[in-house]
Amino acid sequence: MAALLTAISSDYSRDMISTTSDLVTGEAAWVRQAQRSDSQAFESLYRLHVDKVYGLCLRMTGNVSEAEDCTQDAFIQAWNQLGKFRGDSAFATWLHRIAVNTVLGRIRKSKRERERLQAVTDTSLAPLATNDTGELSDLSAAVDRLPDGARHAFILHAVYGYTHDEAGSMLGIAAGTSKAQVHRARRLLVQQLKEQGFEA
Amino acid sequence: MNEVNDDKLAVAAKRLATEISPERDLWPGILGAIEAPRRGRWTPMLAQAAAVVLLIGASSAVTYITVKGQQGPVTQVTPELLFEQTSFGSRYNLGPGFQDARSTLAAQLDVQLARLSPESRADIKVNLELVQGAIFEINAALEQEPDNALLQGKLLSAYYEELSVLRRVGGLTRNVMMRNDI
Repeated sequence: MAALLTAISSDYSRDMISTTSDLVTGEAAWVRQAQRSDSQAFESLYRLHVDKVYGLCLRMTGNVSEAEDCTQDAFIQAWNQLGKFRGDSAFATWLHRIAVNTVLGRIRKSKRERERLQAVTDTSLAPLATNDTGELSDLSAAVDRLPDGARHAFILHAVYGYTHDEAGSMLGIAAGTSKAQVHRARRLLVQQLKEQGFEA
Repeated sequence: MNEVNDDKLAVAAKRLATEISPERDLWPGILGAIEAPRRGRWTPMLAQAAAVVLLIGASSAVTYITVKGQQGPVTQVTPELLFEQTSFGSRYNLGPGFQDARSTLAAQLDVQLARLSPESRADIKVNLELVQGAIFEINAALEQEPDNALLQGKLLSAYYEELSVLRRVGGLTRNVMMRNDI
């Protein structure tokens, strides 16, 4: 029985490795084809990465409609800049960087528009349609309520696992500033969650 | 804030979903955006390139053919060249002065062509059709970008060239087309 389990486990692992390898090979081929203006190959890249890009946009904007727009903008930007992608970083990281820039650009633009129009907007947000359940849903909602700077740094570092150097580079801030923003985010989150009786 | 809370928070944050499916398929919007500029960018460029090449070629050819054709035998021909209604994209119209001159010259063209040799007539017909093809292409591009000043200029040049060809063939010298006719 143990041998059988080992064999199954071993086969399963091999399959997983093979599948991952195929995916990476497929992605590299799609990137090359898309760089030659093959929109079908680019659609394959879109299908492969959309959930991660949309997830990042949704976490960073806290708004479904904005996240959809940002995701579309990010992929359009990626298409336009594909010629510049040399494979120095993973395609997913390159795409994430574009998505973060898109989100920040849209936030800056909407802030300018709000200031120009001096409009009073309702900043209350509907709960996000994430896959988080139970207490994670409370944490997710608390993250959404963080100030922009703290939220962005926290999401990139604590949720997506980027280093402070990487997060800082994406956000256009120093690594030390990213660290400070994440510290601030944690303090605010603990404070919020304590009030809600969160027991993570 | 104590260390335990901080650690628990870090663990919980790593468990937050990083991949979330959008509620609707966003691909059609992306495809529309990445396909549209490709059409929008190339059509005017091709139209402009075609217009420049055709106008230069047609102008030189017609000048040569018209002069050469003066010595040819006079024969009767049936009207072969059709002149479409002028257009200037979807938003502007050419002035009535230009429209009248063009109609007059187009009506006289068959009579003038009858004085030329069949070979010269065929060459002029081909060249006028090239100019009119360029006008059609630039007009199609203007449908997409009605306010593109470069396209407007090219179209105006193309119409001017058409008029110039008609004048040279007919020996007329009236210059009625002005920029403010638009």
